Formats: sequence, structure tokens, C-alpha cells
Amino acid sequence: MFFPWWSVAPAAALVGFLYKSKANFLAGFIAIALLWLIMALVIDMNAAVPLAEKIAKILLVNSKVLLLLITATLGGLVGGFGALTGSLLRGK
Amino acid sequence: MITMKIIKLLISLSITVLLIWALDKSWVVGGSRIPPLGKFLDPFHGFWQNIESKNHKLPEKLEIPGLKEPVTIVFDSIMIPHVFAQHDEDLYLAQGYVTALHRLWQMEFQTHAAAGRISELIGAGKDDAVLNYDRGQRRLGMVFAAENAFKRMEGDPLANRVANRYADGINAYIQSLSYKDLPLEYKLMDYAPEEWTPLKSALLLRSMAQTLNMGDKDMQMTNALALFGKEMVDLLYPDLEPMGDPIVDRTDRWDFEPVKTEDTPPALPAELIAISGLTTPDPTIGSNNWAVSGSKTKTGSPILCNDPHLNITLPSIWYGIQLQSPTVNVMGVSLPGAPGVIIGFNDSIAWGVTNAQRDLVDWYKIKFENDRKEKYELDGSWKESRKVVEKFSVRDQVTRYDTVIYTHWGPVPYDENYRADNNRKHYAFRWIAHDESEELLTFYKLNRAKNHNDYMKALDHYSSPAQNFVFASVTGDIAMRIQGKFPVRRKGEGKFVLDGSKSSSGPQAYIPFDQNVMDKNPERGFVSSANQYPADATYPYYVNAVSYEAYRNRRINNILRESNSVTVTDMMNLQNDNYSIKAEEVLPFLLDRLDVTGFNDVEKYSYETLKAWDYVYHADSESASYFEAWWTNLFPLIWDEMRNDEVSLSYPTAWNTINLMKTKPDLEFYDIKETPEKETLTNLIRASFSKGIAEIEQWKKEKGVTEKVNWADFKDTYIEHLTRTEALGFHVQHGGHANAVNAASRKHGPSWRMVVSVEKDGPKAFATYPGGQSGNPGSLYYSSMLDHWSNGKYFNLIFLQKAEDAGNKANFTTTLKPK
Repeated sequence: MFFPWWSVAPAAALVGFLYKSKANFLAGFIAIALLWLIMALVIDMNAAVPLAEKIAKILLVNSKVLLLLITATLGGLVGGFGALTGSLLRGK
Repeated sequence: MITMKIIKLLISLSITVLLIWALDKSWVVGGSRIPPLGKFLDPFHGFWQNIESKNHKLPEKLEIPGLKEPVTIVFDSIMIPHVFAQHDEDLYLAQGYVTALHRLWQMEFQTHAAAGRISELIGAGKDDAVLNYDRGQRRLGMVFAAENAFKRMEGDPLANRVANRYADGINAYIQSLSYKDLPLEYKLMDYAPEEWTPLKSALLLRSMAQTLNMGDKDMQMTNALALFGKEMVDLLYPDLEPMGDPIVDRTDRWDFEPVKTEDTPPALPAELIAISGLTTPDPTIGSNNWAVSGSKTKTGSPILCNDPHLNITLPSIWYGIQLQSPTVNVMGVSLPGAPGVIIGFNDSIAWGVTNAQRDLVDWYKIKFENDRKEKYELDGSWKESRKVVEKFSVRDQVTRYDTVIYTHWGPVPYDENYRADNNRKHYAFRWIAHDESEELLTFYKLNRAKNHNDYMKALDHYSSPAQNFVFASVTGDIAMRIQGKFPVRRKGEGKFVLDGSKSSSGPQAYIPFDQNVMDKNPERGFVSSANQYPADATYPYYVNAVSYEAYRNRRINNILRESNSVTVTDMMNLQNDNYSIKAEEVLPFLLDRLDVTGFNDVEKYSYETLKAWDYVYHADSESASYFEAWWTNLFPLIWDEMRNDEVSLSYPTAWNTINLMKTKPDLEFYDIKETPEKETLTNLIRASFSKGIAEIEQWKKEKGVTEKVNWADFKDTYIEHLTRTEALGFHVQHGGHANAVNAASRKHGPSWRMVVSVEKDGPKAFATYPGGQSGNPGSLYYSSMLDHWSNGKYFNLIFLQKAEDAGNKANFTTTLKPK
């Protein structure tokens, strides 16, 4: 099955629609940010070589920690706006 | 209220879509392309997916379309695949598949570079630098050469089948890939692989030929002739340097009738040529190979060794593999992009290659009828030229076009549209690799060869790039054959540019293959080659090259001559030998001529250190660094006349320079043209000494080195990624020097070291290379062999008769099943 990287957005939108709350953006942001962060951490912990560090250098952020934070943040932003959009589709 | 709701919704939706769009696109910021950050950083699809775990394995079963029967692949501890197939067709399909699995990006990038298509991937570059590189490749006729080779391949049913099955395997792998499975470089550079075709295999082989055999200095020599005169040219650039140890020593024992051509001297153009040839061969590219007869080895079986020297890059140039089918059982290294094993061994024989130094490039001066260049002069009448429009699909730009004129000699690379600087003359470029050839068949047959006869028949298919093929068989034969398609040259021909208006300027004949330089079971008990001159002046054909090796060959032969009861360990030691005959031959002379008055402290110290040097480029040698700094400053000081902006000229060889310093102390070249004073050699020796020492002090300051300047640090052997990305390369601590048998310099060196004892109960092979089997920087196997290589250690190559024999040497096994 083909799930592109941005399918977290419609997924978060669906959840935002079904479970509308007072903090839709934040809920979506935290959910996807955590999802991406944990997945990246698990991969990195089992890594045979420190590729994440090398990629951090190539992207000029120079620190793996920063790279992880950026990963989480970007995922979070997409998830957050997705959830917000979904929640706004709903009536009240 | 409802309207507010809708506005909020639309804003949120727009932001979401915009964000996804922006993060899905690769942006070019300040000239560099940033990968699409959303895609690239997503841990489920992006680069995180390229990070392999320590015990990464392939699935036990993989379904591959195109296979007839299952193929078993056993991967060992260094990730070499041992491929067991039941048909040749399945074998080459599996080779294509597994090679693509590990090296797809490399194969495609290298063939794009050969074909002049890099601007398609990364854009035109700063000031069109990348586009101009691509244009150069097309104008040199790289694609033209590959197409000719491909036509020949297509015409031979065997070569055609092999090349197509190999392509099928690669394509089976490509088709299985979604974004998350793509090799890292595709994700970084934001593009996807295209379909592989047999033409690309031809391109890959031509790309190797370009690295090895496109060197020439015909234009530089023509200028030298005009500027300095014939006597000086013969003095500075002799055809044959008399230092001894040719590849084959057969003085006066050539038992064949050579092909004769007319003795008309070729006509030379009179003008000086401003522009240099498109390529100057790197003098550090070369190789060693040798085979020792059982009469000199401890086991009584011959030992064969090969270490090809190339640009050391990652992913590694070579890919280790074992191939077995009912017709073949062979192991060694392959070139990703071409089927078969290129250097290796089977149950009966072993073979290897070094580059045969021979001038295989000619430039023909063309006289066009007019500016339209539709006709050019040939033998008194006008011949039609051919126009080829090259298309460049430059990334992020409109398509660019470049028209290249082809004559029957070859393409005309320089004209008013390309590198027109100061050059109004048109020269056609003829390269031996423009012709058809059958390398695939050569390696197909070598892989299956059982004896010397089979080896000879296999080489009869080989025309370019010319190589010195070393051979050893289990029955005790050793042999060397310099094999290539060589034009029969009149004396001096090919050394200078030629008159393209006369068809008599072209090659009248080619040396029959059985008259190439070769040897079998010589009395001295060994054969060897290290890019030196092929044979002495008694060889009945005129031979010319840009340069010949003068040092590694003599060191190898000196050691082998003195050796008895040779073991594989002795041979490994020889491959890692760091002794420099050049240093031995020039340093005492330089120290003797050095004016020691007025030394500062550092100069005093380095002088003493140099006097005590053993001429060995150990990793921790300080003298080596001082000598290197001295010599690299002396050499250009002597030959400052050759660095001319108006007219391109060549440096003489190091060997000849040293020879001239000793025999011609009053040569006019010692005077530095720019200065009003008249310098002597003694002046230059002292000046370059001080300059070199100062250079090292400067280096030490910049690097923060307060202790000795270790050779390994000063040399800084650097294994670079093909994209020049610093983070994906490695700096290594390693001794050696281009003039030593261990020819490791900064970015060039032994790209594969192999020692094979060709024994009756099975070959015992040991090998290593500076990198690893996987092209994935996220894999343990990207550089798993690097430490061994840096430390002069070798891996035992496991040569299996059956898949089941692997036992605990197998890392894991994968079966490819027909889909």
C-alpha cells in the first residue's frame, strides 16, 4: 500500500474531526512530533553507523540532537495543522 | 459566525496544504539543493530508513521477475555475495540484481557522468561548470564510443544475452523500490533511478577506459617541438628511458615478421597550440601485478598478485562477488554496471590487470571549407562532415543544445562554441575506444578459462583499454600479455598532432594481436608489470606513451629476483612496501649539492633528519614529509618554462629530470625565466629546500601540530564520496607514496589488493579494498574493510564449491525465486 510521508496530515485531520477538543492543533502537533521522534530514536539507537550525525553535518545543523528536534517539529507542524483543519470541518 | 468558521477552515486548510507542498519540494538555497525536508526527515520514509541496524539481513526469500529457477546467494562476513545459479541467464540476472541492491546509485551516477548527463541531476552549476563538463564528455565522443561498443555487443548473441540479463536484474531491483527504499543519495539529491539498459554497461566500460587510456600530450609535444627544437625534445621527452626492467625482457628474441608501413614522415602543423588537451592523465594512476612461478614459491604452486591503483572513492569502485553456474565458478571483483568478474580466479587459473601505457589518442588538424563546417579537406577534395546535436535536459532550466562536428577521424571537441579561448584551429579527436570492442566476451571467457590456451583465446577479443594481463594456472604456467588494439606507428608518429587533410596520417595497420608484447614461463621465474615501458628498443614496433613508470617496476623486480621460497605473506608485504627508489636515487645527490650555509633551526633539523632517512614512506616518517615538500617545490622550479599561459607544454618525467640533473648540470632550464638573475641548479636546490621546509612549518601551524610532521598526516589519504560530500568520506592513516609499490597518495591508491596462491586443491585467496560492499553510508558494510586496508591486512576470500559448504562462514542466505 502506498502511504506518502504526508499521510499523517489526513490521519490527524480525521482524528481532529472525530475528537474535537479545546486544543486541536496542540494535540495533533504533540502526537505526530512524538511519533516521529520516537521512531527516529529507535532507528538511531540500533544504528550500525552514526549516519544521523553525518546527515546533520550535511544539512548544516551539525548536531544529531538538533536534527531530531527538527524532525519532530516538522512532523508536529504537519500533524498539528492537519488536526486543526479536521476539527474545523466539524460543526461545533 | 458561519462565515468566520469557513474562513478559519480555509486558512487552516491552506496552511496545511502549503506546508506539505513546501516540505515536499527540494529548494535550491545559495547554490545548494536542500532535500525535500518533509519527505527526507520522515522517519518512516526518509533518510532514517537508510540507517541499517548492526545485524541487518536481507529477507530469506525474494521474488524476482525474469528468473527461470531459484538462485541461492550466500552473503559472508564482509557482505560478498556468493551466487549459485542453475543457468547462465539466471546467473547474470542475479548478479545485476544483487549489485544494484548494493550499488544502484553509484552505477547510475557513474554512467551519467560518462554520458555527460550530470547537469540533468544537479543543474548547470556555478558559471555553467557542470554543464560544461557534460558538454566536454559528449564532445570527446563518450556516448559515441559507448554506442559503437553497444552495437558490437548487440551483434554478438552471447554478449547480448549476458548484457540483457544483467540489465533485467538491475531493473527488477529498481522496480521493487518505493521512495523509502531508495539509496540515500537519491533522497539527498531528490531524484529517482531510471531504467538500466545494456548501453549503460557499454558506457560504464568506456568510463573506465577514459580513466585509464585517454591520456595524451600530443598538443604539448607539438608545441615543445616548435619552441625548443627536435634535439631538445628528444632530450627532455625521450621515447624510451634506459633504466631497465621493461615488462617483458626479450632482447632480440621477437620471432615474427612485423607489419611494415611506408616510411613517409607525418606532416606537422606549424602553429603553436594555445589550448591544452582535454585531459591530462594523473601520473598517480597506475597499478601493480605479478605472478611468481612455483619454482620460487614455498608451496610449489604459483602465486598471482594484483593491486590496481585508481581514484579511491566511495562507494568503492570494485564489488566483490562469486559467480557459479554449471559453466563457471569464479570469484573476484566486478565493476558495478558490467557483468562478469574483471579481476579474480577460478578453480584452475588466476588473472589480473595493470594499465598498459600507450598513446592511444591522436589529434588531427582539420581544415574546414568555410564557417559552416559542412565540409573538410581530405586528400585534395572536400569531404562531408556530420553534425550531431547533443541535447542537455538541464535540471531547472530549459533544454540546452550543443552541435558537435564529426569527421571520419572522430569528433572535433574545440571550436568557437566550446573552450574557444585563443583557439581558432579545429582538431579532430581520435581515441581507440571510439572503435567497436568485445570486452564483455573477454571477461566471460577469462572467467571460464582453464589454462593458458583459454587465456590467450579470451584476450583475443580484447581491444581497449589496453591492459597488461597477468596470468597463473594450477598446472604451473605464468604469463604476461600486453593486450590492446595498437596502431602500427612510424617512428615519432602519434607523439605530435597530425595533419587531418591526408588519409596517410591515419593508422595504416594495427599490430596483429599475436605480435603484441607477451611472455610465458620466463627463466627468471616471475612476470610483473607496473606501468613501465613494455619492451626494449629491439621490439620491432615504435611504441610511445605519455609517460612510463620508472620506480615501482624496479622495486618489484628487485625483490622478486632475490626471493625464494615465497609465501603469500611475503607477497602481501610486497604490496604494502613503502620503499622509494626515486628517493634513493635523488636524495643523496640533492643533499650533496645543498648549500648548507645560513640554515635556520628548522632547516638544520630537517637536514639532519633527511640525511638519516631510509627512503621508506612509513606512516610516521618525518623525513618523508620533508623530502616530499622539497621535491614538490624543486620540480616546478626547474620546469617553470612549462607553465605557460599562452602555450601548453608538458613536464618531463621525474626520472628524466633526475637524469638531467646528474648528467646535464648546465641545462638552460635551471634558470628561472621570470627573474633577472641567472639561476643554477645549485640555486634551485637550496631555494626549494627552504621553500619546502617553510611550507611544512606553515602546515604545522595551520593544523596545530607541535610534534613531528608525520607522513600519514601530511599526505592525508582521503577516501572521498563521489559527490565530494565531506561527511560521507574518511581520512585514513596510511603510509606509501605514488613511487612506492604501495602507491597510496592523497586520493589515489590501491583500490583492490589481491594475492592468490593457485593451488591444486583449490585457490587460496586473500584480499582487501578501502571501503565496503555496501554503497549505503548507513550500512556497517559501507566501510567495513577500510581498517584492514589501512593496516595492510587482508581478508581470506571464501571460495565455495557449493552453497552448503559455507557453514558458519555464512552471514545469511537469501534465495531469489522466480516470480
